[in-house]
Amino acid sequence: MQDLLKFIVKYSNLLVLLALEVVAFLLLLSNNHHPRSTVLSTANRLVAAQYEAVHNINSYFSLHYTNELLQAENAQLRAEVEQLQTLVSDSMARSAAEYLHHSIRYIPSRVINTDSRLSHNYLTIGCGSNMGVRSGMGVICSDGVVGIVSTVSQHYAIVVPVIHTDASISCMFSKNGYIGTLRWPGDNYRYARMEDVALHVDVLPGDTLVTSGLTTAFPKGIPVGVVDQCDLEDGESYYTVRVQLSTDFRRLDYVQVVDNRSADEIEALKHGLD
Amino acid sequence: MDWIKQVIRFFIVMVVQLLVLNHLQVLGVCHPMVYVFFLLALPITLPSQMDMVVGATVGLIMDIFSNSLGVHMSACTFLMFYRRHLIGELVQDAERLKGDISIYSLGTESFLKYLVLMVPIHHLIVFTLSAWSWSMMGWALLETFVSSFVTMALLYFISSIGNRRDHQ
Repeated sequence: MQDLLKFIVKYSNLLVLLALEVVAFLLLLSNNHHPRSTVLSTANRLVAAQYEAVHNINSYFSLHYTNELLQAENAQLRAEVEQLQTLVSDSMARSAAEYLHHSIRYIPSRVINTDSRLSHNYLTIGCGSNMGVRSGMGVICSDGVVGIVSTVSQHYAIVVPVIHTDASISCMFSKNGYIGTLRWPGDNYRYARMEDVALHVDVLPGDTLVTSGLTTAFPKGIPVGVVDQCDLEDGESYYTVRVQLSTDFRRLDYVQVVDNRSADEIEALKHGLD
Repeated sequence: MDWIKQVIRFFIVMVVQLLVLNHLQVLGVCHPMVYVFFLLALPITLPSQMDMVVGATVGLIMDIFSNSLGVHMSACTFLMFYRRHLIGELVQDAERLKGDISIYSLGTESFLKYLVLMVPIHHLIVFTLSAWSWSMMGWALLETFVSSFVTMALLYFISSIGNRRDHQ
């Protein structure tokens, strides 16, 4: 017994170090790769409130830029409304438009904190379960795709953005409909990568990528990015396509959470198949 | 009261880190972490086990604010463990150090050694753990290299200001 006490006293430093490191690694593993706890993350009310207060001050400095964005979006929406009005005269189109209108709802929200520096970046947005946000929903902004909701607390939610090394977004080339998966390699926050694009696919720099609509998180046709370059390594039979993301994650201010009301039904069907 | 001074310093350092430095955007590789100043300057009057608990707590708070649970906590705990040994190596009579660890208390040369041996280790742990994959190791090393230099320069600057103020 005395020997044990002596041992503990002699190596107490090392034991404390080991104990604390074990705790740290357990937290790290439990958190990898998505934050799970609403208490120990920026979904925490206190932490988020702090970020929100700071963001309120900072947002004054980007008012001009935000206004320009909103104006551009307004103009685009007006054009779309006019187009749709001409279409709606067709009764088929009317029922389709009604279906779309009822099946997808957009929840507007502000971004209160962003990371774009690490390989595991997260956004914190200012609406949570009180507004109907649930984990797994897609998040978009006026420029394009943002990410997918991960952790939700009552008033806040954490979003795993496209620029997170574990994020993958199903998207397609708008000109030929070829579908692939977009991933972020973890370095430059402006560029993501699409691998395994078959050689026969006609891809050129400047082509646009949009969401495929294959998952329930995003509706079809939300902009993702523009092809920047396509590389073919020696001996490979697939292109690696570098994509410039249409969303600038360092200037995000307002986003919309996509609440696909038929998501549950579709997921239930898929589970039924399994 | 000394502990009030430490608490105030902790708040200042965290505010600067979370509101300014965490949003710095220089080429995507420069992420200085000046909050370690609080840990590096802590007097060595506490028992060294308490040192590590303080380190773990500071790291955990950083982690909660940056959604990186465990990363900073692990780095700061190790930093505080290693700190005691290092100060013992750098200074002959470490017992006489009662106040903050600074340029003044260690001397310029020892303080520089102290920074060079502490900061890169902390940064290396943080960047490798947050990269969490072998394929990103090169990038993590580059981040460590660049950020360490900037952090060390900032820490040297902060410490020299504090030094001047204390002895006017």
